[in-house]
Amino acid sequence: MTTLRDELLDLISAEALIDRAKLAPSATLADLGLDSVGVVSIVFAVEDKYGVEIAEDAFNDAPNLDAFLGRLETIIRARQDAILGRPEG
Amino acid sequence: MPEGAQRIVVTGLGAVSALGAGVKANWAAAREGRGAIAPHSFDPGPNGPAAHVTPAALIAGDLVGPLEAALGRKIGASLDPFALLALAPADEALTQAGLIGHPDLEHRTALVLGHGFAGIHTLEASYERFYGQKAARLHPLTVPKVMVSAPVSAVAMEFKIRGPVFAVSSACASSGHAIAQGAGFIASGACDIAVVGGSEAIATPGCLRGWEGLGAITATTCRPFSAGRDGMAIGEGGAVMVLEALDHAKARGATILAEYGGAGLSSDAFHWTQPSLDGPVSAMRAALAAADLAPDATVVISAHGTGTPLNDKNEAAAIHAVFGARAKFHPVIATKSAHGHLIGAAAALQGVIGLMALAEKVAPPILGWRGADPDCDLSLVLTPAQPIAADALLLNAFAFGGLNTALVFRRWG
Repeated sequence: MTTLRDELLDLISAEALIDRAKLAPSATLADLGLDSVGVVSIVFAVEDKYGVEIAEDAFNDAPNLDAFLGRLETIIRARQDAILGRPEG
Repeated sequence: MPEGAQRIVVTGLGAVSALGAGVKANWAAAREGRGAIAPHSFDPGPNGPAAHVTPAALIAGDLVGPLEAALGRKIGASLDPFALLALAPADEALTQAGLIGHPDLEHRTALVLGHGFAGIHTLEASYERFYGQKAARLHPLTVPKVMVSAPVSAVAMEFKIRGPVFAVSSACASSGHAIAQGAGFIASGACDIAVVGGSEAIATPGCLRGWEGLGAITATTCRPFSAGRDGMAIGEGGAVMVLEALDHAKARGATILAEYGGAGLSSDAFHWTQPSLDGPVSAMRAALAAADLAPDATVVISAHGTGTPLNDKNEAAAIHAVFGARAKFHPVIATKSAHGHLIGAAAALQGVIGLMALAEKVAPPILGWRGADPDCDLSLVLTPAQPIAADALLLNAFAFGGLNTALVFRRWG
């Protein structure tokens, strides 16, 4: 079964034109060649795909890809929980 | 042609439209009379009015995947369809010309493409998000995707074309002007190669309503020069030609497909949607004079032939005014009846199909024809395709706003 993290890695690979194998969790966004336009493009794709709203500055201090993905997962899961009526947390 | 002027030849062709991907597929469908105009439903989504069915010639399937395979790299969502529809035929034309990776693209090569509109798909989706969904933020690539020069930038970056690169726009004559402009760079001695053509992708729910508001769209299909014609059908696609100085093409052993004869460019300076007789007549006369054809030459005329009542009547009168007693000596084709009206890309696609007709000595049939209109008394090529012995192609494009181009190409060999 595809995990949410797999889906997000596929989305980042397609949106930012980065080879999926190069998306190491420890890589910084700068290591991956992701400038601010690249990050916002990914955020847009995530918003469209998962129906979430993400603040523009949510990732300014994400130290690496793992942290970036973790924040996206938190936002998406909160939305899914809200739709399913589950309590947050 | 003036003494000592550089002769210009065509060494590469590329095309994509609802008729198919590639020149071969487009030519085969046009020649065999397999048209692509069909009713399509355009749904503006929950924030717009109800879905609406209109005839159009739309490209089936994914644009990005096949292009990524051809170019051997990922493109993703960075380009609007109108730029994808320029990249694909540019790749085909440059491949045929043997110029992919050629060092001459780095200097003395021009790139000029014509578009009547811009990144309408991106613009409309962005405004739906902004006005419809009330999203405060737009995608960071909105501006580069929408701008009318996005296709030339994409093509220049892809193939490392570093000479004069820009887009031109004159509605339905845009790629006619692009071809003439590129040829001008070679004629002036500024460039050896000019990659020219155009692309268009405007079949969005909002944009089509704009065309319907003009009263220009058919209720059924495009029927050029026919009794009972009632308008045009929108098409989408792109087409590219590689023009090259004859000496340059010969020196590198390129295969020559046709010779560029010349252009006639004029403006009616008259009306937004009504054509004038004088503008098209002066454009055709100037193009024929520039090409210096023999008085008894036969030309196959690729008519602007939109299928609107006014254009076709006026164009037929213009052809009679230009050729006089010999008007019905020249076969007239009107391939918008097959691939729809590609607006800014129309002249380029009709040029590619016309050059194939010239080379193969076969004229593709006008589709949708229902019977003679006395106002359109021309030698129309009707179904089936017809053998022709033409020496040259006369390619007409007349735009709303009164902007006219006529181009002549001579058969090679």
